[in-house]
Amino acid sequence: MANDRNTEDYLGPIRRLLVGLLVLSLLGIFLVWRIDSPRVERFRLAVIDRVVPSFDWAMAPVTGIANLVSDFQSYQQLAAQNGDLRRELQQMKAWKEAALQLEQENAKLLGLNKVRLDPQLTYVTGVVMTDSGSPFRQSVLLNVGARDGIIDGWPTIDGIGLVGRISGVGNKTSRVILLTDTSSRIPITIQPSGQRAVLGGDNTLNPPVEFLENADLVRPGDRVVTSGDGGVFPADLLVGQVALGNDRRLRVRLSADYERLEFLRVLRSRAHENILDPGSLLAPDSLPQPEIAEASPDE
Amino acid sequence: MNETPTTQIWVGRMVFIGLAMIIIFGQLLPLDTRPSVWAPPNWLLAITLTWVVRRPDYAPVFVVAGIFLLTDLLFQRPPGLWTALVVILTEILRARTASMRDLPLLLEWGTVAMGIVAITLTYRAVVMVVMLPQQPFALTLIEMVMTIVFFPVVVLIAQFVFGVGRPALGQTDSRGHRL
Repeated sequence: MANDRNTEDYLGPIRRLLVGLLVLSLLGIFLVWRIDSPRVERFRLAVIDRVVPSFDWAMAPVTGIANLVSDFQSYQQLAAQNGDLRRELQQMKAWKEAALQLEQENAKLLGLNKVRLDPQLTYVTGVVMTDSGSPFRQSVLLNVGARDGIIDGWPTIDGIGLVGRISGVGNKTSRVILLTDTSSRIPITIQPSGQRAVLGGDNTLNPPVEFLENADLVRPGDRVVTSGDGGVFPADLLVGQVALGNDRRLRVRLSADYERLEFLRVLRSRAHENILDPGSLLAPDSLPQPEIAEASPDE
Repeated sequence: MNETPTTQIWVGRMVFIGLAMIIIFGQLLPLDTRPSVWAPPNWLLAITLTWVVRRPDYAPVFVVAGIFLLTDLLFQRPPGLWTALVVILTEILRARTASMRDLPLLLEWGTVAMGIVAITLTYRAVVMVVMLPQQPFALTLIEMVMTIVFFPVVVLIAQFVFGVGRPALGQTDSRGHRL
């Protein structure tokens, strides 16, 4: 016992000092992160960039087996599902015919009116590597990053509907904040009334509609698309449908299949052009150019 | 067996680190990306506290700090805060292992439960003070209660599967130090 006391006598204070320093430096990291978060977030992404791809070899088989098990469970409902799908297909054929006719008509009318539409967005497709790992954050990690030209803020869709936006780009990985995350806010338009609102995630599967001006014009079942307000997102990406939640709030049933996100498309969205020129009509600094006068002689 | 050789301590540490890595890996698997209405127990915290209470020499403070800092970074938490709280809790428990050695499991469980509640509440308080977005309260509560409920299960698994039990009285390591 005496021997034990002696070793503790000189080891104890040093150890206590080291542990104190450790705790202080950890709290220091937290404070630095709170004050200057972009720098620490960049460090975080560098760590993720290094650690997660090294898990990749093990993740593929484990995810594969888990998918196999859930697929096996769904075999039980296969017959019923098949019948449902057949019936749905019949209806869809009628719709497809209608859609084709409408598309042709639409193209003709657009051509006649010389309407300029936005060019189609191009995309990069990535595979989901991991999710956020905690029940409090809703995000996934994609296997595409800065080397594939991914830029912070680009929207991500799963083929049908909006899934989230890129927030954090590493060299080989990038993080997508899902619409269900508590920090996700997306400007939306509700069709057909055209009301603008914000879709704010609250960690549930159906995020609520916030800042809606007139809730009477919105009915459950209305289509929700992005509005492009604020210049963050391109407009007219499908988000989902309005639904009335159990708490009598308007919520959005997302079109993207959140049950299993596997392949995601990152849309290359261009920055909005801002018109900064105030226009020279009210206060022209110079006389009209002679070419302009010649160009419109009949006015 | 009266002695714990130093190699055995290192094997114990490796087992602890390996377990932690498996838990992190399992949590990162993208099996279900829907937001869940309940939270599973915080397994990593449960095994860390079990190891610290039962065999503190298998879970050195720097290993604990390293693992939790890694999870802070990977799981999108504010880096450092949760780690610091866990390190403080494990240090308090570590200092009391000698006196907790002959406590019944129920009292040990109670002590650890109080610790878990304390750090969870402190975490929420600090997050509130520095005005960060707060985690949903219900989920935090569920996770905390689940972790406390599953603590004895983890203790039993640690005891019978990994052989992490309380060292017997008078058991020493290969250099003759008391455990």
